[in-house]
Amino acid sequence: MKEQRLNSSWVNSLLMLPALVLLAIVFAWPLLDSAWLSTQASSVLTGLTPLANGGANWQRLLGDARFWQDAAVTLRFAGVSVALELVLGLAMALLLHQPSRGRGWLRALTLLPWALPTTVLALGWRWIYNDPYGPLNAILRACGAAPFGFLTTPASTWLFTVLADVWKTTPFVALLLLAGLQSIPAELEESLVLEGASPGQILRRLTLPLLKPWISLALLFRLAQALGVFDLVQVLTRGGPAGSTESLALYAYLNAMRFLDFGYSATLVIATFLLLVLLTALGWLLLRRRALEPSR
Amino acid sequence: MKGLLLLWSLAPLAWQLYTSLVTPEALVSGSVGTSGSFWTLENYRQVWLADPPIWRYLLNSAVVGAATTALTLTLAVPCAYGLQRQGGRLRWLVTLALLATAIFPTVLLFLALLQLARALGLANNLLALSLPYTALCLPLAVLLLRAAFADLPPDLEDAARLEGMNLPRRLRHVLLPLLAPSLASTAILVFLFSWNEYPIALTWISRPELLTLPPAIARIAGSSLFTVPYGAFAAATVLGSLPLLLLVLIFQRSIVSGLTQGAIKG
Repeated sequence: MKEQRLNSSWVNSLLMLPALVLLAIVFAWPLLDSAWLSTQASSVLTGLTPLANGGANWQRLLGDARFWQDAAVTLRFAGVSVALELVLGLAMALLLHQPSRGRGWLRALTLLPWALPTTVLALGWRWIYNDPYGPLNAILRACGAAPFGFLTTPASTWLFTVLADVWKTTPFVALLLLAGLQSIPAELEESLVLEGASPGQILRRLTLPLLKPWISLALLFRLAQALGVFDLVQVLTRGGPAGSTESLALYAYLNAMRFLDFGYSATLVIATFLLLVLLTALGWLLLRRRALEPSR
Repeated sequence: MKGLLLLWSLAPLAWQLYTSLVTPEALVSGSVGTSGSFWTLENYRQVWLADPPIWRYLLNSAVVGAATTALTLTLAVPCAYGLQRQGGRLRWLVTLALLATAIFPTVLLFLALLQLARALGLANNLLALSLPYTALCLPLAVLLLRAAFADLPPDLEDAARLEGMNLPRRLRHVLLPLLAPSLASTAILVFLFSWNEYPIALTWISRPELLTLPPAIARIAGSSLFTVPYGAFAAATVLGSLPLLLLVLIFQRSIVSGLTQGAIKG
C-alpha cells in the first residue's frame, strides 16, 4: 500500500496517542477503579475512607432484593423499548427514504426528539402525563372518560416511561437504518419490481437481508444505552412508584449521592457493566451466527 | 403516513410551546379566566429574571459545548488520520476499542469520574467538565473522521509530499480543507452531545450559577414535584431547546449525511 509508506508506523501511533490516553483515563481507569472500590467499605461509616472488606459488598448484592428488582426492571425496560424502537425505527426509515418534496425538512423535524436534551423532554412528558391537567387527560375528558393517573400505578408508569423512551430514541435508530437503506443500490430494487415482486416481498427478500449489519449495529448500540438508562427515569419518575421504574444506574447513583455508600455504588456499577458485557456479547454472537447462515 | 410521523414527533414539543405561552387559568380550563387574557409572556419573564436566570444556564452550556467541540476536533483529527494511515493489527485493535467505547453508557463512569474530579479539584469548573466530555465524544468523532479521510483520493497526499510538504502542512493545506463538511457535521454532533449530557454534569457541578442546562432543568423539576408551575417549566424547556432546534434545522443536511456517511464507511 502506497498510503502506509507516507509516514512511519511510529508517527501514526504518536498521532493517535493523545486521544487514546484521554480515552484510557476516562473509560478504562474508572472501570478498574470501580472494580477495586467494590471490594472496599467506603461510606459515611468509614468516613468515606476505603477499607478492604473482601467480598462483603458482593455478598450484600446477591441478597439485595432491591438490586434484583432493579435488574429485572432494567432488563425488561431495555428489551421492550429496544424491540419497539427497532420496529418503529425501520418503518420511520422506510418513510424517510422515500423521495418526496421537503424530504430534508421531514428528516430534520423527525430527528428533533433525539437531538433535544433528555431531561428537558422528560420534564415535558411529566406534564403531558399530568393527572388531571395534562393534555392526555384533557383528551380523555373531551371523550367523556375519567382522568387517568398515567404515572400513578407501577404497571402504567413503567409502560409510559417506555413510551417516552421510544419516542425519544426511535429517530436515532431510524437514522442508522436510513444510512443502510441509502447503501442499497436502487437498481436491485428496480429489477425486483420488474420481476413483479410486491413491496412486502422486496422488503423481505432484499431490504431486510441487506439491512442486517445496520440492524445489528442499532441493536447493540441501543441495547447498551438502554441498560444504562438514567436521565429519563431520574427526571420523569425518580424510579417510582414503588421502585417500578428504578434502573440499576439510578440505584447506583442513589447509593453514591444520597446514601453516601461509595463501595456499594461501585459494586452496582460493576454488576451493571458485567450484565452489559454479557448481553452485548450474547447479542453479538447470535447476530454473527445468524449472519453466517445462508439467508434463505 | 408522513402527517402521522410529524404529529408523533412534534405534538409533544408543540404542547410544551403552547403551555409556555398561556396563562395558568387558560392552561387548566382552556378558556380566558379572571386575568382576562389567554396568551402571555409572563412565564418567559419569570425564568428570564429567576435567580440564577435561564440565560446563565444557556451560557454555561454554550461554553462547555464550545470547549468540548474545539478540544474533541483537536484530538480526533490527528487520531483519525493516524488510524487511517496505520495498517495491521494496531488499526484493528484501536477501531475495536473505539467501537466499544462508542456504545458504552456514560452513566457507568460517573462514580469514578466524580472521585477524579474531587481528587484533582476539577469540580465546579466548566472548562474542566469539557475534559470528560471530550473523551466521551472522541470515539464517534474519530470513527466519522477516519471514514472521511478514507474517502479522500489516495494519491493526493503523496503528491503533496513529493512537493516537499511535511505532515503538518499536508494536513493543514491539503487534507483538512477537503474535510470541511465532515469536520462541520462532527462538530455539530459533538456540540449536541455536550449540550445534552446529564449524569456527569449532575455530579461535577454543584454551584447553582455554574449548572449546565440539563441538571438545571432537572433541579427545577425536582424542587417542586407536587406543585404545578408548568408554565414556567415549559418556558425553560422551550428556551433550552431553541438553540438546538435552530442548529438541527439549519444544519439538518450535514447532520443526517454526517451520521449516515460515517455509518456506511465506518
